[in-house]
Amino acid sequence: MSSREHVVLMKGIVKVYPDGTQALKGVDFEASEGEIHALLGENGAGKTTLMRILYGEIRPTKGEIYVFGEKADFKSPREALRSGIAMVYQQFSLIPSLTVAENIYLALSSVRRISPAEVRARAEELSRKLGWSMPFDYPIESLPVGLRQRVEVLKALLAGSKVLILDEPTSVLTPLEVEELFKVLKSLRDEGMTIILITHKIREAKRVSDRVTILRRGLKVGTFKTAEISEPSLARLMIGEEIELTVKGGIPKPGAQALVVEKLKVKDDMGVLRVKEATLTVKYGEIVGIAGVQGNGQRELVEAIAGLRPAIAGRILIDGVDATRLTASKRGKLGLSYIPESKLVGLALEMNIVENSIMTLLSRFTRRLVDVDWGKARDNAGDIVRDFGVVCRSLDDTVKSLSGGNQQKLMVGREIRRRPKILVAHEPTQGLDVATANMVRRRMLNLRDEGSAILLVSSDLEELLSLSDRLLVIYDGRIVSEGRPEDYTLEKLGLLMGGVIDASYG
Amino acid sequence: MMLAMGESGLRKVYPVLESLAALIAGIIGGFIVSAVLGYDPFASISLILLSGFGNIEYLLSISVPLTLSALAFIVPLRAGLFNIGVEGQAYVGALAAVYVSSLTGFPLPIILAPLAGALIGFLIGVLRVYRGVNEVVSSIMLNWTLFYTVSFTISRYLRDPVIVHQSVRVDRMLSALEALLIALAITIAVHTILYRTTLGYYIRVMGSSPEALKYSGSSESRVTLTAMSLGGVLGGLAGALQVYTVSGFIDVTMSAVFGIGFMGIAAGLIGRATAVGALPASILISALIIGGHKLELVLGAPPELADVMIGVMMLALSAPYALRLLSSKVLG
Ligand SMILES: Nc1ncnc2c1ncn2[C@@H]1O[C@H](COP(=O)(O)OP(=O)(O)OP(=O)(O)O)[C@@H](O)[C@H]1O
Ligand SMILES: [Mg+2]
Repeated sequence: MSSREHVVLMKGIVKVYPDGTQALKGVDFEASEGEIHALLGENGAGKTTLMRILYGEIRPTKGEIYVFGEKADFKSPREALRSGIAMVYQQFSLIPSLTVAENIYLALSSVRRISPAEVRARAEELSRKLGWSMPFDYPIESLPVGLRQRVEVLKALLAGSKVLILDEPTSVLTPLEVEELFKVLKSLRDEGMTIILITHKIREAKRVSDRVTILRRGLKVGTFKTAEISEPSLARLMIGEEIELTVKGGIPKPGAQALVVEKLKVKDDMGVLRVKEATLTVKYGEIVGIAGVQGNGQRELVEAIAGLRPAIAGRILIDGVDATRLTASKRGKLGLSYIPESKLVGLALEMNIVENSIMTLLSRFTRRLVDVDWGKARDNAGDIVRDFGVVCRSLDDTVKSLSGGNQQKLMVGREIRRRPKILVAHEPTQGLDVATANMVRRRMLNLRDEGSAILLVSSDLEELLSLSDRLLVIYDGRIVSEGRPEDYTLEKLGLLMGGVIDASYG
Repeated sequence: MMLAMGESGLRKVYPVLESLAALIAGIIGGFIVSAVLGYDPFASISLILLSGFGNIEYLLSISVPLTLSALAFIVPLRAGLFNIGVEGQAYVGALAAVYVSSLTGFPLPIILAPLAGALIGFLIGVLRVYRGVNEVVSSIMLNWTLFYTVSFTISRYLRDPVIVHQSVRVDRMLSALEALLIALAITIAVHTILYRTTLGYYIRVMGSSPEALKYSGSSESRVTLTAMSLGGVLGGLAGALQVYTVSGFIDVTMSAVFGIGFMGIAAGLIGRATAVGALPASILISALIIGGHKLELVLGAPPELADVMIGVMMLALSAPYALRLLSSKVLG
């Protein structure tokens, strides 16, 4: 039935979720030994669903699965792990308060009997081999996202898996970290592992994979040798039409100062000083980009601007008003809008689309002080959903049931449609496919052209270079460089972000 | 479009189906236990149900305070807070009702008792917000503190001149119909607060994610304090209604009110943490309790048989949730 080299073979997979969503409509998929296989598709194409089925987390409505030539019918991830299949999710499954070592032990001990010391020794050996220095005794919550991902990968490898599924692993990584990850993936492949890489970034699929399978709206479009197919063809097959791959802004007309940050100091949750005297200005009618390796204070910086984190020292002026001590909602009334990096902050996942669509602007939908106008809210939600192409079945869907990309569209759409005077956007296009990401970028440019001020923090350097009117580089809590995007090459940016050269700015 | 409507309809009835399945599971549980204990399962279960639902007026008057207790548990729960303090709030509410009734007549006692409960809820909230004390821990300690305080106050200041171990009686009793109307009005009020007001909105956002609450422009401390106080209002009212519809007085062992807070947790969970589910769930539980006592009288079977049925129902309802949580968090 299935030949030996098909490490994974899935046939005619259909998945209908309990609420009636047809996520997969009969998909075949196969992966062989020693390959990196990219699973490419737009938001909501069914990539995550297909792999959750392989991983035994959810069961297919129809279809057969063979692993190493044997029929598999996993009832839980634990069974999949025992058969050598591991998956690293978009949202990590680590326990924040436990240390790295404890998390790894917990995961392994659920698969087989093993002592903590043995786990520790093997984890240390493996991370040495991969060239990673891991802080085994630090709690997960104190680590940047890039390191958390490594913990997940270690977990998977130590469980002895032969097949490693990664769900959009690069969406949370900086370019340098992406390089690192790809290097590791390639060396694992060379040792014979099968790696399935879920992504909607065509360029990534092209760069790292040996073969690529494209999904579109729950159907398989085809499987190709990566070397034999061009980026434009991949894009066309994925979207079903030609798309432009970049966005370019018009000429900015900067006006008065919208947002001023002066000598700001901010601590993180652990009490470590993360922002050390950051100073920056954003004018109306311009986009200021911030580039930096994750964990250099950008998160704390934008959270302090948004009013979610106290400033230890320094000042924040919003539209000329000293907002350093104002609450988040007061800052909102001054015209500030914030798109957070995490959907757990920007969305109430248990609540429905209508309820989420008014989360940051409740007062606009309130009558007589306390009475929420749900009719008006529903109209607003409908507008966001139509405008930003959020794929859902009804406005009463809980946000939890949307795919990652559609959650992102809802969150970003809500803030952009407010037409804020000042927008602070942290990774606004993360998890979005090319077409949607470009749409969001165009909307931000429109907003700027209408006179709004935008502060954009992104790990996508090309996005920063194409959107920013001015570009700042943050390193170790300080703005170390400022210039026009034309002044930077990717190399120079990389060096600045790595703290290798200092433009001795400020 | 038709399809979509059908599906959203299905999603609405799904929780009801789950509750019905739990009900059946509970009955089966009772069946098995009574058979194991050597009693005729058909006879015991039908006796429980028949006598439980036999006297509707009595059933309703017992269900109404329990409904309030369930609501008192539910409101903070929707913000992710566990109001284990309903029990103590009910003691205080009952005491306040008796005390105010000894000064003035109905309806003032019922109006003031909730304020006493609110004070307790607020205190638990303050301890959590400003001192970082987990609300479950402070509630459990407060429940016992209040138990003895209320018991002491009765025997010292409000004791009945003739029957010394109990308090004076309240000025009048509420009929089952009056109680039912109060319960319905409060249910509607709680439902409205949760789903139509900004406060309810923020309570639910906090229940979904405290970080999202902060992002949305509200604050965790404000919502914690209001949700716990609101829970206290309802808990106090539960105690007052228990006196006004069921017992007429409280005694030094608190037997009239004891346990109402804990039963409220069961009722709140069986009602799926919804305001509209509280009353039906409370009626069901009350019927089982009444039936359980009857069972003891008629067959000599232990009344705990009814508790087993309630327990199985709660387990059946929480099982799907617990399983999901386990499979998604621990493994993987
Ligand atoms: N638990 C669920 N219940 C109902 N529908 C779901 C559920 N999970 C996903 N879906 C739906 O199934 C479809 C496919 O979702 P899936 O998460 O597999 O997409 P994806 O290709 O991973 O997208 P993305 O790039 O946005 O993460 C989407 O329409 C989504 O809304
Ligand atoms: Mg996905």
